[in-house]
Amino acid sequence: MENTTNKSFYQRFVKPIVTHKVFTLVLLLAGLWIIFSVWAPLIGNKFFAMSTFRNILESIVLSSFLTIGAGCLLISGDIDLSQAAVGAFGGMVLASAMAGWGLPWYLGVIIGLALCAVFGAANALLIDKFHFPAFIGTLAMSYMAQGLMRLFSSLGSETGTAQNIPFQKPAFLKWLTIGKVWFIPSGVFIMLIFFIVYGILISKTTFGKKVMLMGGNRQAAHLAGINSRAITYILFINSAVLGGVSGVFNTAKLGQGQLLALQGNQFTGITAAILGGISFGGGAGGMGGAFIGLLILNTFQIGMTSIKVNPFWYSIFTGLLLLVALSIDFFTQIRAGQKMARQARG
Amino acid sequence: MANSLEFRGISKLYPGVRALDDISFRAEGGRVLALLGENGAGKSTLLKIMSGDQRGDEGELFINDQQVKFADPQAAISAGISVIYQERQLMPEMSVMENLFPGALPKTKLGLFDKRKLYKDALEIINKFGLPIDPTEKVARLNIAHQQMVEIMKAYRRDADIIAFDEPTAPLTDTEITILFNIIRELKAAGKVVIYVSHRMAEIFQITDDIVVMKDGKLVTQLKTADTSEAELIKAMVGRDIGDTYASLSRNTEFGEIVLDVQNLKTPYVRDVSFTVRRGEVVGLAGLVGAGRTEVARALFGADPVTGGTIILDGAVTHFKSPRDAIAAGVALCPEDRKEQGLVLGRTIKDNIVMPVVNKVSKYKIVNNRQVDDLAEEAVEKYSIKTPTVDKIVGELSGGNQQKVILGRWTSSQMTTKLLILDEPTKGIDVGTKAEIYQTVCDLAKAGIGVIIISSELTEVINLADKIIVMHNGHVTGTVDRANATEESVLAMAMLD
Repeated sequence: MENTTNKSFYQRFVKPIVTHKVFTLVLLLAGLWIIFSVWAPLIGNKFFAMSTFRNILESIVLSSFLTIGAGCLLISGDIDLSQAAVGAFGGMVLASAMAGWGLPWYLGVIIGLALCAVFGAANALLIDKFHFPAFIGTLAMSYMAQGLMRLFSSLGSETGTAQNIPFQKPAFLKWLTIGKVWFIPSGVFIMLIFFIVYGILISKTTFGKKVMLMGGNRQAAHLAGINSRAITYILFINSAVLGGVSGVFNTAKLGQGQLLALQGNQFTGITAAILGGISFGGGAGGMGGAFIGLLILNTFQIGMTSIKVNPFWYSIFTGLLLLVALSIDFFTQIRAGQKMARQARG
Repeated sequence: MANSLEFRGISKLYPGVRALDDISFRAEGGRVLALLGENGAGKSTLLKIMSGDQRGDEGELFINDQQVKFADPQAAISAGISVIYQERQLMPEMSVMENLFPGALPKTKLGLFDKRKLYKDALEIINKFGLPIDPTEKVARLNIAHQQMVEIMKAYRRDADIIAFDEPTAPLTDTEITILFNIIRELKAAGKVVIYVSHRMAEIFQITDDIVVMKDGKLVTQLKTADTSEAELIKAMVGRDIGDTYASLSRNTEFGEIVLDVQNLKTPYVRDVSFTVRRGEVVGLAGLVGAGRTEVARALFGADPVTGGTIILDGAVTHFKSPRDAIAAGVALCPEDRKEQGLVLGRTIKDNIVMPVVNKVSKYKIVNNRQVDDLAEEAVEKYSIKTPTVDKIVGELSGGNQQKVILGRWTSSQMTTKLLILDEPTKGIDVGTKAEIYQTVCDLAKAGIGVIIISSELTEVINLADKIIVMHNGHVTGTVDRANATEESVLAMAMLD
């Protein structure tokens, strides 16, 4: 055994940081900032500014909850495609509760999130009990969530058609969108708290350790007494409820339950999580990486606007970025596999 | 020209193991040759080499005295070789007729797929075999015996000159066996080379002409079926090279009270299984592949449902619903497939060791990394796991060290294991580490743990276990003490028809 006290400063402090996956991501993010900061002034724009940074942070609030939920699930080796649709449904429930039924905002939030939780439990049930592949089960659920959202939005209307539901913003929902904690926008503040709490949950707690081991090899985890079924339920419900939180933010921001809510965000959570180094197969990654992944995604978007690139390029480049991230994941796995084979032989 | 197949000096190396060692023999057309040997003797590997599925590292293969080299299974098929494996290789969602003619579907003049001709051709073969199978039926809906017959018909219709059967009768009933044997006799009369792998002595004497006996990847002897006896064959399979590894073991000699009492255990896979394990006793489960040993282990561990009988652990009747319950009660299982079922290969040694006790090494649900390190280092030291640090990824360790990590997991100071079940603990492990694991088993017994060991290496079970339970076809066929156990007697019980 190596004695820990004999390790050099480099081995103890520098090496773990520079060899960490998140470090590469931070470098990538910094690279993007440098590129855009240099490029934007060339065409008479400004990118490097506190306001840009704040813009980016504010723009990721909605998708941050999706990213956290999707990230936890991906680490455990599962996937949830219904998250955004369920979230939009939750947001619509909130709007209907306030505008249609005259309920106070907090009851609306509670009912909305509770119904989202039901969707999460249904996802888990389909996968755990009826052995649907997560991909199919959650895809089916996402259609149902969309349909139910339209149904909800039509209940209050006189014509019986689905519609956006506007409402009077109560103080809390106003604070959620334009309020501040010290100098930090309240949405950003809440997002950071969530990332910290979930970061600790995944990396420090017994629950997180079990999620990680289960993602690494579900069968082995089951045979080592890890209650992977319960964890599956918890994580799917968590994913759906976080989708709901995102829906609530969206509804609060717009002042109405919107039919097209979160439609562009279907895959944002999964994309950011994978960009952030969470392995698609499960068993690796963390919330820090997912946060950086999300920052990269939106820095890219806002940066592209600042250098006046036609917006359609944004999607193309996001696709390329994701391919690069997946390739890196793929090649590190191949390299690890080769290393394993070599060492097992030798 | 008469058909023939000849192996000359075939060897196949796996990391640390010589799966085949200089195998040479010749199979003549018009005769049925039996390949006989214990599990792991190398029979399947040999079949895979002749079917082009794997390549030998040394040696040559001759068909009709012409040397051949196969790049892939397709090349072997073109050369006239058909191998029917134990694992059926059918497409379950497609019809019987489509399965019978893969890659050779008849076409109409327009180049479309000719369903009518396909049906006719398929029916012809099925009728020749005399089986009640509808060609349009989905394979998944046939019973296992008929699925196996489809596999056999598929090989038959290729009209290969060399046909090998790997344990073909295992899933068959008497009716299909009769049909199969008639077909084999017909193939023989047509001058084809037939290679027949089976564990069933009666069949070997019924259908084969020549016998090749293999052990540990080596050819032990080649003889004519008419000139030999069951006893002689078993002796040849068992061999005589038992090292003194076992003699030098420091064993436990004092057994405590009964820790496990299994009475008439019944699961979907096994029935009438009864035996006891005492504290400090090493009990071996012997039997051929498919005898139901792993299934007994899984049932005891709560991993498979128990449909009948009683399991008494430490005097209390148990009903484990999951491995979690079993672990809490002090039962541990090192599964047969280390990489698939035992370890999380992509995570560290310490993560793998702490797996069942994550909750115990924490405070307020936060994992105490120091305790985790201590626990892992304790295991590394106890079993001399060769690694620079407990943070090493388990997938990068050798098979022997991986097995030690699992042992470390179940015997750490946070565990209270009373009964340890080891399923094939030395599979794919080099000889030196094997000896270490044997001694570890004895040490655990000395510490008062009841140990159940499952192994397909007969020598290993007989020499390591204090008591041997022999299984065949899902039930116990005999119990014997180490003092009275011979490989011949155990093998005879394991092959009981």
